[in-house]
Amino acid sequence: MNVAWAIFKKELRIYFVSPLAYVFLGVFLCLAGVFFYMGVVQTGEASLRVMLGNLSVTLLFLLPMLTMGHFAEERRAGTFEFMMTAPVPLWALLAGKWGASFALCLMLLAGTALFPGILAYYGDPDWGVVFTSYLGLLFCCGAFVAAGLFTSSLTDEPVAAGLGGVIVLLPFWISGTAAEMVDWEQGREILRHLSFLTHLEPFTRGVVDSAHVLWFVLFTFLFLFLTWRSVESRRWR
Amino acid sequence: MISAQSITKRFGNFVAVDSVSFEVAPGEILGFIGPNGAGKTTTMRMLTGFLPASEGRAVVAGHDVFDEPMKVRRKVGYLPEKPPLYNDLTIGAYLDFVAEIRGIDRSKRVRRVGEVMDQVGLIGWEHRILGSLSKGYRQRVGLAQAVIHDPQVLILDEPTSGLDPGQVAGIRAYIRGLAADRTVILSTHILPEVERLCERVVVIADGKVAADESIHSLKNRVGAGVRFRVELKPSEADQGRVPQIVGALPGVDQVRPHDEVDGFAILDVRAAEDPRTAIARVATERGWTVRAMERHDPSLEEAFLAVIGQE
Repeated sequence: MNVAWAIFKKELRIYFVSPLAYVFLGVFLCLAGVFFYMGVVQTGEASLRVMLGNLSVTLLFLLPMLTMGHFAEERRAGTFEFMMTAPVPLWALLAGKWGASFALCLMLLAGTALFPGILAYYGDPDWGVVFTSYLGLLFCCGAFVAAGLFTSSLTDEPVAAGLGGVIVLLPFWISGTAAEMVDWEQGREILRHLSFLTHLEPFTRGVVDSAHVLWFVLFTFLFLFLTWRSVESRRWR
Repeated sequence: MISAQSITKRFGNFVAVDSVSFEVAPGEILGFIGPNGAGKTTTMRMLTGFLPASEGRAVVAGHDVFDEPMKVRRKVGYLPEKPPLYNDLTIGAYLDFVAEIRGIDRSKRVRRVGEVMDQVGLIGWEHRILGSLSKGYRQRVGLAQAVIHDPQVLILDEPTSGLDPGQVAGIRAYIRGLAADRTVILSTHILPEVERLCERVVVIADGKVAADESIHSLKNRVGAGVRFRVELKPSEADQGRVPQIVGALPGVDQVRPHDEVDGFAILDVRAAEDPRTAIARVATERGWTVRAMERHDPSLEEAFLAVIGQE
């Protein structure tokens, strides 16, 4: 546990001593502002639905850039060899790295708290919906970070890892749109369930359904498991 | 303390390390030498558990590397060929992180990091960013990282590469000090370093152990007898006949012309016993000029080249 904590702190420190975290915060908050404005002006509602929906897609593209260095960079710098010869269990390494990226996501989302604040000042938002929407977005973050970790474990090239993360995640976004173009009933259902938007949507309506929570949790653990296997197997080759 | 038992590493069809066996006793510094690509680093990686061996087993600090990797990892300090540094961190933050991973309590960590920084000559550098360091300093941080938990076993892959001569002397003295109550494997291609630090060497070539013996006995492998370097300027009449004449002297086994400088023939003479008096006598009789005659002990370098078959 201490080891996972040490790795968590180290990863966060690396985020904040390099410009990466600040660039992320900046870009993310700018986009959030644009989406917020669009959402409120278009719908005229005191609602965050448009902003949070758009942010989830933004995260799909941004988070792999945040996680791409995790294994790829360590391998390039030779620190991977250190990690694998120090008394660091693999689960602690994964937990520390996933946790650090997830914590940065928390900070990104905390930054957008400004917007519900504005809504509260001028209108009367439904706080339950705001809360569940953020919860849904957090589940998204956890899942995307896990997928990003996985692609980072596949290559020594951080950029390839980042793009790979986007490529792995893309089908889970567009399958929702693709579903509407399919005639076959079962196929449409399957595609719909593959899309994270399908599972995020209830959250933005204020509904926390355990089935959708489970989808995100399984998604996250599936990719963490794949990462585990990939890191293990690369030592055997 | 360290025991490699027929460890083999294959990458596909390529055999990088082929059934390598050796032992290192507690308190010993073993020199691990070999040409580039001979399998040194791969062997080190198997001993530290970074790479699993394809065959054979390795026991380090009393534990099988494959069966009890965590126990081995706790007791081993390892400096890989490329110092494992996080370029964005400061030296202080990095060493603190390593100490934390190594399970050193928060209360003792600051003191221990300070101690180690002092030992490797990094005092006053704790706020420097690792990415901005020169090779020599990176190497020192790498060494600090390897010893921070006071390991019983140290595996060092080229610890002095990139250091200037002053730093090299300091780090060597430090390694020698460390070895007093530890087991050290030192992989290097700097042979004088091995001679200064190690009693015994394992020479590895083409993935196999080519020699495993004391430096003294390794040097004797170069050939029997004693060798001399002789510089002579022959008389007009004997021009070009010097090797034959010297070679005909009693006790001389072999004469090899080495070079010719300023009209002096420089010869390598190998003889069962000291031939210098005899050479001096011949030179006087024939009117040659003698500039130098010196005993020439075989160097580790020659022994090394002889062992790996590249004389």
